[in-house]
Amino acid sequence: MTTDWIHTNTFHYHQFSDLNRLVSAKTERGLKISLCLPTLNEERTIAKELVILKSELMTRYPLLDEIVVIDSGSSDATCEVARAFGADVHLADDILPHLPSCRGKGENLWKALFITSGDIIVYLDADIKNIHHRFAYGLIGPLLLNPGIKYTKAFYDRPIAISKDEIRPTGGGRVTELVIRPLFSLFFPELTQIMQPLSGEYAGFREIFEQIPFPIGYGVETSMILDIYRKWGMEVMAQVDLEKRVHRNQDTKALGRMAFSIMKTFINRKQRLGLIHLERDLFDEMIQYRLVKGEFEANATLLENRERPPMITIPEYQKKTRMRA
Amino acid sequence: MRPEIPLERIPAYIDGIEAIIETILANIVLLGQIPAPTFREHNRTAALLDRLAEFGVDECTTDGYQNPIGIIRGRSQTRAPIFIVAHSDTSFGEDVDHNFTVTADHISGAGVLDNSIGVGVLASLPEVFRQLDLTFQSDIVLAGVIQSIGKGNLRGIRHLLKTWSTPIRGAICMESADLGRLSHYSDGMIRGEVICDTLSGPAERHCQRPNAILVINEAIDQILALRLPQRPRTEIVIGTISGGLKHGAPANEARLGFEIHSDSDEMVKSLYTDIFDIVEGLGHVYEVSLTLETVSNVNAARLAYSHPLVKSIIQIMSALQVAPVSSPSESELSIFLSRQIPAVTLGITHGRRQQERTASAQIAPLSRGIAQVIAGIQAIDRGVCDDD
Repeated sequence: MTTDWIHTNTFHYHQFSDLNRLVSAKTERGLKISLCLPTLNEERTIAKELVILKSELMTRYPLLDEIVVIDSGSSDATCEVARAFGADVHLADDILPHLPSCRGKGENLWKALFITSGDIIVYLDADIKNIHHRFAYGLIGPLLLNPGIKYTKAFYDRPIAISKDEIRPTGGGRVTELVIRPLFSLFFPELTQIMQPLSGEYAGFREIFEQIPFPIGYGVETSMILDIYRKWGMEVMAQVDLEKRVHRNQDTKALGRMAFSIMKTFINRKQRLGLIHLERDLFDEMIQYRLVKGEFEANATLLENRERPPMITIPEYQKKTRMRA
Repeated sequence: MRPEIPLERIPAYIDGIEAIIETILANIVLLGQIPAPTFREHNRTAALLDRLAEFGVDECTTDGYQNPIGIIRGRSQTRAPIFIVAHSDTSFGEDVDHNFTVTADHISGAGVLDNSIGVGVLASLPEVFRQLDLTFQSDIVLAGVIQSIGKGNLRGIRHLLKTWSTPIRGAICMESADLGRLSHYSDGMIRGEVICDTLSGPAERHCQRPNAILVINEAIDQILALRLPQRPRTEIVIGTISGGLKHGAPANEARLGFEIHSDSDEMVKSLYTDIFDIVEGLGHVYEVSLTLETVSNVNAARLAYSHPLVKSIIQIMSALQVAPVSSPSESELSIFLSRQIPAVTLGITHGRRQQERTASAQIAPLSRGIAQVIAGIQAIDRGVCDDD
């Protein structure tokens, strides 16, 4: 097991704050860069992300060539607000509409591959309260300036919003510490060097993303790391310290459902790799209990492990890629 | 004769400003989200200097008091500079969530109306000048002064003007709200705090110590009983009160914050002396520590309504269909005026709940608010503040 990776492939966004240098590198290499924001009811945060990213990384420094919002069917004004601030907005269901409909972040990320035209694709969550353009250029920097790196992942200090107006300086990352890190330690110790495998912000070359499957739900980040690790090794990956990210705190039951999906993805991947053998299929329901009038009541949530195949296997995508070429 | 301001061209500025509104909003958000309580503004002012440097401002520096300053060099070697000022500090602590919410129509969050929009616009002016293809005879000095509000007592701007070595042609102070605000005079003002501490006075030895809140209440009654003249215009504002620990225990400590305003400095001083006497008397009667502290003060100063700068601003506002509202300002303006530097304070947009954590500013009026500032700078550059 190599333990050097954490030293050689860990960066800080400050190392890439010379945006003219990044734009030059992009131009020299003839690359296009797409930013994708997957959304579901993000009307309170989407406008701010668009304002800052467009102003700083499109208008002032032409680092991004397009900003695409892929929406899962928001019931609030997310799409209207995003359009008003100049984003290219698509409903996930309208992309490759002949495929069975699925709903989840992974679905949006996968369909973004079909819609966008960039050689590099940056994925940012749309609920970042303290959005700053470093979230994008920090992830793009290693891809442009370090030729061997094909995939970058963010890590942070993680203050959590504890009430409407107050933030607590440390916390969060419970699923990482209680689920992912033990699993990685047990099966892939090298991957423990990734500080926050579940962070929702990452970037990479299309040639990477188009060759891996995308789980529809919470498991997408875990499966992405496992698949890239298996196909290309640690060397193509890097992690970038983006410092502080303020995020919404989730309750323990919501985190439990997230952990369920992630463990299921992980176990399925291991089974597919022949690393474990299961006598029977895993169940699809996460069962949680609550007390109602003195009685325990079971609450089962269906969390199927659906995933999309590598985009490169989709005929429409192949046709589009040929036309683009 | 001074060249006239091209009023007919001013509304066209709005389109140019709208074309870069995302950059302006980004500056407001990126700077406004950095906490900057008075005396701890460093992170915000460092970011402001970075932004000014990124926008190609000729000289970005701090003065000896750490006020951030950007200087855009003018065409003339001899003209005095024009100052554009926005205070960088806010009344919210670092523990308050400063992350703004942006919607299609509004920006909301702690400090957005006092004075994040002012600071964000200050950072954007170099880009606005470039967008509108404007240059000036005078150097333009962009200053995001520190230690302005509350106990800051305008120390930043006082220091900046005291140590500035050349004459200053004129100044525009920017406040986030409200668009239409035209402040061209400052009332004399003293801001004070009465502090009652029953544990420190002679009554500390008594079993039945007086209740600090009731002592402060007595002070309020006596202050309100003071006779205020109709002329000179004078007002005492009881602004803040705090004290006590829990419902069932008499308070050991209580505080009262107040301001005296008047267009006569003598009247302000006289009333302050009256309040001092009230405090001394009550402290003696109740045998408690009752003290009066001066938080800040400014002298009355005025730029006449008939001054060419005020008249020009009114014409500019009219061209932009903004109705001027004349009101006093005890902010940076008073320091400029007390030094006989012609200056006005202008508001940039409309908003609600100015001093709340949920303050909300309208986006649409921003471009008109900025256009009036640009035209105001042009008016000064064309000589409305110059002695003929």
